[in-house]
Amino acid sequence: MEFLRLVKKAQKGNKEALLQLIMEQQNEYYRLAYTYMGNQHDALDAMEDMIVKLYENIDTLKKRESFYSWSKTILVNCCKTMIRKKQKIVLIDDWDVPKCSDQDYYESTKDQVNREHQMDIENMLKHVNEKQAEAIQLKYLHDLDYQSIAEMTNVSVGTVKSRVFQGLKKMQQVYGGGKIE
Amino acid sequence: MSDIEKKLQAEKDRLNQTTAPPELEHRLRTVLEDKKRTRKKKPLLWKTLIAAILLFGLISYNYNGLAYYGKKILGFDEVNSETLNQLNEAGYGQIIDKELELSNGTILTLNGVISDENRMIVYYTLSNPNGNIAEAYNDLWASKITGFLTSSQFESGSAEINESETELKGMMDFEAPSPFAKKLTMHFDEKTANGQYVEKEISFAFDPNQALRTSIKQPINQSMQVDGGTITFKSIIASPTMTVIKGSMNVDHLDRVRSPFSETYLFANGTPIADLGSGISTNITGTKFELEFDALPSHLDSLELHVDKFVGYHKLDKAVMFTPEEEVEADIGSKKLTIKHLKHTDRGSELTIVTDEDVMLDEVSMGNESRRVELITTIGQTYEEADGEMRKKRTLLFDETKEADRLYIGGMHYMKAYNETINIPIK
Repeated sequence: MEFLRLVKKAQKGNKEALLQLIMEQQNEYYRLAYTYMGNQHDALDAMEDMIVKLYENIDTLKKRESFYSWSKTILVNCCKTMIRKKQKIVLIDDWDVPKCSDQDYYESTKDQVNREHQMDIENMLKHVNEKQAEAIQLKYLHDLDYQSIAEMTNVSVGTVKSRVFQGLKKMQQVYGGGKIE
Repeated sequence: MSDIEKKLQAEKDRLNQTTAPPELEHRLRTVLEDKKRTRKKKPLLWKTLIAAILLFGLISYNYNGLAYYGKKILGFDEVNSETLNQLNEAGYGQIIDKELELSNGTILTLNGVISDENRMIVYYTLSNPNGNIAEAYNDLWASKITGFLTSSQFESGSAEINESETELKGMMDFEAPSPFAKKLTMHFDEKTANGQYVEKEISFAFDPNQALRTSIKQPINQSMQVDGGTITFKSIIASPTMTVIKGSMNVDHLDRVRSPFSETYLFANGTPIADLGSGISTNITGTKFELEFDALPSHLDSLELHVDKFVGYHKLDKAVMFTPEEEVEADIGSKKLTIKHLKHTDRGSELTIVTDEDVMLDEVSMGNESRRVELITTIGQTYEEADGEMRKKRTLLFDETKEADRLYIGGMHYMKAYNETINIPIK
């Protein structure tokens, strides 16, 4: 199979093969990075970090057929590391205003396009905790299966299912007349 | 399909319109091109031993001196903190003076560095006789410093521009380099005229023997209970440029306030040490934090960490009465709530309220004696200053209820006073 052949080549150190594998699903990777980072510049940076990590570690990948879920897990980790680093940066222009929390940062860097459409879902996701929101986004917006989400978020499949279920339940409550401010 | 699932589907459709930008392939290829893969092999035990012995020899040979014979880095008084100025005055910096011309003709000069176990500060100058230096600054993105056993991420920066906008003096904070690195390379991205990012680098010689010696490095291992769980302060590293306290925590609702450690202070000899910032990160092993403070005084009698306030929860179960037109003030626990006005729009009933900035209400509904409607969402959150206090104003959106006269509040998340003192013994 072409796909497995490419993974094998990439494992032997072939850079073009690795790049081809990524470009094959470039939009999926990009959307995933974009969901975490909220803007193009950071999403691209995260993907650069990812490809370096993939290249350095692909020989440790045992199940070739799971290349995509493995690489997306690495991408998610790259995004999280970057977000953590970013929190420490305070630009000189921001000195006068109070420090932003994660959520503020997330909101302020989201592109303004489609803002209105997004408001609804964003608002709804605010009502569930970060981990539930992450699981719901990965499942419903990125079509990832429970197993992959479990790997990405470092928890068991059961936990992911419960996060999705509890999160949806909470959103349902809120949307149908919720409670939490 | 439920409404929620429909909404998620709509969001997915919207997201699917987002496609990767055309420069992606080029950027990934560029990154890959200069990568060499090192295959990791497990060395045999005796090889490890020899390496360890060699390394030990290297350390004792190179690291016994720790003599300070640096020079003063000139012209950075404005961007420096007092501590850094004092260190610089005392000649603890290393002069570099290396230049690199950027694509728009701006010259980047690395003037010098000061480093210790906690961080590395790089002093630099951007100059361009044609002005517009702010633009050149905005197009630069420092990423990391690399070298032998070193990959230090960029952490923060500050800079000052002269009046004619031809020169910028700034400093950048990086993670500390390895004490074995003798040559370091600073990596940064530059945005070129066509909007592409080009990676650039500038290398310089570094003398780790001139790094400043850490004065205190010891475990703390003390915990305190808060409403949502436990905070554990694990260790302290005090170096000449700053003091870092690390720890872990397991606390619910941490995200309900803006900065949970904003009222945690470090006292040395009874005097507070300036706060330089804090960071929180979460991964599989739990939530970790790092509190950064200014350097400690050279003579130390006592060291205490005061946790004055931290995230807490107050159960209220209270109804606050209001009239639609008039402003009403009410006490909720130890806090004040101001209800500004109630308006009915095509979105529903909108109740505008103001509280202290750290207050987030929980289990909110609105109505009258016979009827209650639940909160849909909160909109238009803004911060305003009144009598020197930051206040948070936002509008609670409910389904339309024309005859509402009270707001039900189940509880609130806020910065609760704990006033705990953690005593750090000085060895």
